[in-house]
Amino acid sequence: MIDVRELTKHFRVHRRPPGFGAALRSLVRRRYEQVVAVEEVSFRIERGERVGFLGPNGAGKTTTLKMLAGLLHPTAGHVEVDGFVPARRDAAFLQRITLVMGQKSQLVWDLPPSETFALNRAMFDVPRAQFRETLDELTALLDLGTLLDKPARQLSLGERMKCELVAALLHRPTTLFLDEPTIGLDVSMQLAIREFVRAYNQRHGATVLLTSHYMDDVVALCPRVIVIDCGRIIHDGDLRGLVKATLPDKRVSFTLPAPLPDGDLERLGTLLVREGLRATLSVGERELPGVVSHVLGTLHGTDLAIEDPPLEDVLRDMFGKRRRAAAAESAP
Amino acid sequence: MRRYVALLLAQFRVSAAAAMAYRANFVLEGLLSLVWIGLALLPLLVLFEQRESVNGWDASASLVVIGYFTSLRALLEGVVNPSLNDLIARIRTGELDYVLLKPVDAQIAVSASHYAPWKVVDLLGGIAIIVWALVRRGEMPTAGQLALGVMLFGAGAIAMYSLWIACAALSFRLVRLDNLMFLLSAVFDTARWPVHVFPGLWRVLFTFVVPIALITTFPAMGLLGTLTPLGALGTVGGSLVMLVLSRLAWRAAIRGYTSASS
Repeated sequence: MIDVRELTKHFRVHRRPPGFGAALRSLVRRRYEQVVAVEEVSFRIERGERVGFLGPNGAGKTTTLKMLAGLLHPTAGHVEVDGFVPARRDAAFLQRITLVMGQKSQLVWDLPPSETFALNRAMFDVPRAQFRETLDELTALLDLGTLLDKPARQLSLGERMKCELVAALLHRPTTLFLDEPTIGLDVSMQLAIREFVRAYNQRHGATVLLTSHYMDDVVALCPRVIVIDCGRIIHDGDLRGLVKATLPDKRVSFTLPAPLPDGDLERLGTLLVREGLRATLSVGERELPGVVSHVLGTLHGTDLAIEDPPLEDVLRDMFGKRRRAAAAESAP
Repeated sequence: MRRYVALLLAQFRVSAAAAMAYRANFVLEGLLSLVWIGLALLPLLVLFEQRESVNGWDASASLVVIGYFTSLRALLEGVVNPSLNDLIARIRTGELDYVLLKPVDAQIAVSASHYAPWKVVDLLGGIAIIVWALVRRGEMPTAGQLALGVMLFGAGAIAMYSLWIACAALSFRLVRLDNLMFLLSAVFDTARWPVHVFPGLWRVLFTFVVPIALITTFPAMGLLGTLTPLGALGTVGGSLVMLVLSRLAWRAAIRGYTSASS
């Protein structure tokens, strides 16, 4: 269980204008600024939940994860993970959690991953029998095969990430903080990692808090999303609720039997895509039944599909509205 | 405790395996170690060619100091330096995060994370120099002197380690610390000479401010039977005080760790 109340993190950063003169001046007199990374964030995640943590770059996602994992000390507020205060870095707390960072590696570069695993076994004091069993389970789930004996530097990015996951999970943590675990991976590898996270969550009842730039990860894995922007939470709830509240219109795609002028389609809704006979419209919920029956009955459309707008569009719209509102507020 | 022994063994195994992955390098480094030991003896041999003794230190007694220096430098270059250089790199890249996520004391984990196994040649070389010096002297230490010499070798190692860990703690704030490390290495180099050969102010500096004397001179005097009981106590006490101070510096550094951004 994760309990976060009014969590705040400020960083003091050195600022200087560009140019050599400014660099010289900064040697004598430094100007520091307080940067608000996270501001009064509160949420609660129950045991076994899978939650997506979304936000643009610099929104405060990684800083929050690092505070939850005990790497950073909060400036203010309260965090509890499984009854522990992370910043105290109790050994019992660290035994229960893991943090996987897609951009950083814990594998020993020149050696096969099995050496890193042995090192982690010693650090977490995992009994040999349990270590063997967990390693076998993770190896099978991730289809690692012979990768364990190849030097880490010879592994592809996707293979490396699989091994990073094994290294991070050998002590069977019950809370997983995953920061961009699929970054840079191809689609099939993303899918494999996603399925693995789901299987681990279901087998071990582990709590998962995931950040990802790939919305497919979040859609596939997380029934609940927390959206953060400029250090503050702007949405916490189920994914459908987020989509409904931000972009309630549906996407209706269909194939026409014969060419039709764009104007005729635009009368039904906002025309988003037109590729030959295939068209995609954005249609309000209230107009949806009428449009569908018109497309099928009058236009004799086929292959009709009704979908929610992609999460990327929903977030872009959400953050765009917030930026515009903030700009309007600060304008004289 | 069991966990730390297992951890140190596992780290040694990994580091030795990484070093042995480059076989030619391994052999070359071992040979270079022998050359360095020879070169380290040269200034001393030249000096004592000209005169019998310097401020009460004759050639064989000075050789014992060199023996201590060579052995401690083996520890420094074989364990401390590779580990702390690795630490500095990890602070810069943010990979120290992974160390802090482990349920072990981060200072212990980083202090012996990397080894240069071929430095064992230097360690053996240092011991050989001490034995050679004692044979030359024609006077073997008593069991008590030997025990004191070994104990003070430990105290010297602790004092040296504390200096380096304090320096590493600074690297959390300064990030680029290579030059300070070079300076510290250069200062450590003076430990090859007995502290008494330095003139007044330098001697005070190397005894109390940057206590190089604790690292080699006093332990050598312990083995030679010329150290007073107060001197022995001072060496042990001083090294423990340095250890406590460096631990406080390390803890303050960890509290202020900001981690590199993703």
